[in-house]
Amino acid sequence: MKFKVPIFDVKNLNFNVRGQKVLLNISLEIFNGEYVAIIGPNGGGKTTLIRMLLGLETPTNGEIRIFGKKIKNFKQWQQIGYVPQRASHVDANFPATVLDIVSMGRVSKRSLFSRMSAEDKEAVRDAMLKMDILDLKDKMVGTLSGGQRQRVMIARALASKPEILILDEPNTGVDMASQKSFYALLAKLNKEEKITIVFITHDIGVIADDIGRLFTINQKAVICNNPKEALSCEEMTELYGIDAHLVHNHKHQH
Amino acid sequence: MTEMLSYDFMQRAFLAGILIATLASISGTFVVLKRYSMISETLAHSALVGVAVGLVAGFNPLWMAVVVAITSAWLIEYLRSSFSLYSDAILAILLSGSLAIAVIIVSLGGAFNNSLFSYLFGSILAVSYEDVVTILVFGTIALGLLLAFSKELYFIAYDEEVAQTSGVKVKLLNFLLVTVVAIIIALSIRVVGSLLIGALMVIPTVSALQYRVGFLNTALISLAFALISVLSGMTLSFYFSLPSGATIVLCVLVIFVVSLVANKK
Repeated sequence: MKFKVPIFDVKNLNFNVRGQKVLLNISLEIFNGEYVAIIGPNGGGKTTLIRMLLGLETPTNGEIRIFGKKIKNFKQWQQIGYVPQRASHVDANFPATVLDIVSMGRVSKRSLFSRMSAEDKEAVRDAMLKMDILDLKDKMVGTLSGGQRQRVMIARALASKPEILILDEPNTGVDMASQKSFYALLAKLNKEEKITIVFITHDIGVIADDIGRLFTINQKAVICNNPKEALSCEEMTELYGIDAHLVHNHKHQH
Repeated sequence: MTEMLSYDFMQRAFLAGILIATLASISGTFVVLKRYSMISETLAHSALVGVAVGLVAGFNPLWMAVVVAITSAWLIEYLRSSFSLYSDAILAILLSGSLAIAVIIVSLGGAFNNSLFSYLFGSILAVSYEDVVTILVFGTIALGLLLAFSKELYFIAYDEEVAQTSGVKVKLLNFLLVTVVAIIIALSIRVVGSLLIGALMVIPTVSALQYRVGFLNTALISLAFALISVLSGMTLSFYFSLPSGATIVLCVLVIFVVSLVANKK
């Protein structure tokens, strides 16, 4: 598979916090249409790297380009959908229906004072349909299950019609059955909707069949182009800090 | 009722009260959802510094209150975004600092009198025609700004970082919100009083949240509660010779307790 346009181009990225090195000389590229999984130990810098790609943290030194533009000149943030770690932990008292939350995905596209256009409404409906939550649209988010909330958060990200979806362990607090259908959904978005996916996860074995490349982040980055082989490689085991082994996901035959 | 409205000062007070209830409850919805309720207390105390300067130096206290409250709001937002200080600690520091400055200015200027008392606790008798016009003009601008950016402000209240990564100008809009809140508080202290305006901004929204409905309905319920509290508070204040600000706050407190009990899980 050949990819031409790098969505993210990261060169010699370093990040220090109060003299502590968090990320060390990271260089990587993420191309259009890829499905990249990021793994690594807690505190290894996975989330920090993602936050820098999203412009939420500034690197100590190094360069990040998004769609060829230096990050400080990049303005089209609606092309990037972000689902944070705490996605399924919604404040139960926050006054929001599913429709309220998914509509937030269109906020940066509208002009002042304007109500939602027909195009906005269609995009919101389409995102809810894809996430199979259309029948929940008038429900309060605080009353939903962890798995349903997770789908709502992804629908919000999809409503802006992003080219890339970045997810930071969004399945914390979600039951196993919901997680499985969630992984199937991500694979579908990548294959059918051609959405580039960058996914921080601990369940690497479960999605090994879906992902194209694997980044292991523990201060430094190790990029493995063949995830299945990478999972048994010594280098990754050393970086991950535990004995890594591959758990194959045998797909059900129907 | 007809007798009450036949007085000019009550007509002015009701007009000002309706405007303030609308402004305080709508801006309060965003403030409460951002978990920033205490900012209303801090800005109300900062506005007192403006009132003190106005009373001592002979400027219009309401205008001075607007200027000082906005300056204080910007200082809070600057400290919050530029230093690793806890938000509630910044609010506590500025609240007590403002009060100390106001008291010193007033006592040095010898103006610790009924005039200041009316700004502390509010007085419907003190609302002039000029005050009503000032509240109407600045209140309309403030409300217009809130409505123009309501979707963005709601998104920021829900999740500031996700809003930022979606292209929402979070820093700018946070400054805008605190500026608008500062203006509304400074305008309101004549009627409700600087010690009580925080209640009118926060309690209607907290009461509305008990009904667990979507954003728009929460804002509308909050508005209705604020209007009911102000109108009933002023009426009771007129007939029973009670202080207006305190009566309004007691009315909104009753609504809060009823909402809390009625929606108990």
